[in-house]
Amino acid sequence: MTSDFHPSPLAFEPSKFTRPFWDACRRHVLQAASCNACSHLFLPAGPVCPQCWSADLGAEALSGRGEIAAFTIYRQAYHPDYPVPYVIALIALKEGPRLISNIVGCAPESVASGMSVTVRFASRGEFVLPLFVPAMAEDSNDA
Amino acid sequence: MAVHRAVIAGIGHTAFGRFVGRTALDLEAEAVLQAISDAGLAKHDVDGLITDPGPTQGVINGITPHFLTLGQHLGLSPDFVGSEVLGGASSAASIQRAVMAIEAGLCSVCVCVYGDAALSSPGSFAYGRGEESVFGFFGATGLHALAAQRHMAHYGTRPEHFAEVAIAARAHAARTPHAQLREPLDLDGYLASRLVAEPLRRADCCLISDGAAAVVVCAADRARDMRRAPVSILGFGQAHSLCTWSSPGHFDALPAARCGPATLERAGLAINDIDVVLLYDCFTIAVLMQLEDYGFCKKGEAGPFVEGGRIGPGGSLPVNTSGGLMAEGYGGGMMHVIEAVRQLRGEAGDRQIKGAQTALISGHGLGMNTHATLILGQ
Repeated sequence: MTSDFHPSPLAFEPSKFTRPFWDACRRHVLQAASCNACSHLFLPAGPVCPQCWSADLGAEALSGRGEIAAFTIYRQAYHPDYPVPYVIALIALKEGPRLISNIVGCAPESVASGMSVTVRFASRGEFVLPLFVPAMAEDSNDA
Repeated sequence: MAVHRAVIAGIGHTAFGRFVGRTALDLEAEAVLQAISDAGLAKHDVDGLITDPGPTQGVINGITPHFLTLGQHLGLSPDFVGSEVLGGASSAASIQRAVMAIEAGLCSVCVCVYGDAALSSPGSFAYGRGEESVFGFFGATGLHALAAQRHMAHYGTRPEHFAEVAIAARAHAARTPHAQLREPLDLDGYLASRLVAEPLRRADCCLISDGAAAVVVCAADRARDMRRAPVSILGFGQAHSLCTWSSPGHFDALPAARCGPATLERAGLAINDIDVVLLYDCFTIAVLMQLEDYGFCKKGEAGPFVEGGRIGPGGSLPVNTSGGLMAEGYGGGMMHVIEAVRQLRGEAGDRQIKGAQTALISGHGLGMNTHATLILGQ
């Protein structure tokens, strides 16, 4: 079922807190919010550190490496801009934070739990998205 | 004079005025930190959170409070109102709020109602999940598919185990005259069901329905003269896990793992004392996880536990005797409450559990964030 979907997922407005994450993606940098009080790294960024409630926050560039903690292959299309099949995965980054993204650069059927992945940036609509590829298929350039 | 068993221990607020560049979120965080500090408490002391979204996050952006819309049309001027926004935990939570309001003396007859015309509103379930929708992360199915895939990878759970839940729901619904989907389902039929978000199939998903359900909660002294024998409320509770992605255990256990044992303890019951089990069944995986988290079986063992029709009619642990969200119809969770009442009154017809004295109802909602438990008795 593809049906009316609003607002368009490719036209969202980042919040005051998440905008630095998306701006860093444009520079092909994957970053997490970092707490200057307790050193906690976290995503998504917010007004205070969710671990210690300090408002003294910064950002830290991450390696872009991690592993697949869980994944699903979408077989039903929800939106015309997202043709199936595609993989949604929960990625546990090496430095600790977790995020939702896509696994690309391989057949969906070859994706497995625990698979090592690395970030690959790709333009989509107004955004540069941090997508992930199997670590074996890692390219030296991100283009 | 009545003395309540609660006090106000701290206050906090921001300045009020025009503050360009500030958002509701950082203003709210500032007020919370101040109030906790004023009380001489710290983050780890906090175990409750209730938010009011305020005018621009709520009413002005088009979300009229649900109680206002309905109450207007019913011509009510009640002493106590509220709308729950806990997703699938809302129905169970609404009963809890009614009990608390009655015990606090704020009202004495409180109607709790669920209603939606979801089936007549195509596309309404294809919603995005915050900024993650930019990756194509839509709907509740994909979210539960992550949990289902993780369960299979960690514990060896198989599609046949998910099928047991779907097949049992249909078999129960066949004994429920008002059920939306009464056609039987077998394993071949389950496996032929199309994939939505692997490993979940259409047959793993609950129904989408137009419908409504209401429950009247009443002060016990007033209920004595009423037409129907009252059903007792033996215990209730909630537990929530609000850190969806950042919490490492989020897809491994539901907040039910805290809510269930705590609620049973309040009711003075053990899990084996429960006669009627009504678990929020938005997806088959949610039922398997709750069987574990409530302690019906050990963590990771729900797959083998449901084998052989154990949770179906005539099984040793019938679950969702009316067919639940998967086959009776999507009633938010209020229909689970109504089925519990029917079983405890002995009015469940062909699906009656003999001698049913206790019933446990669960609600599970949003991004697997919210949970509510309700225990009823005769």
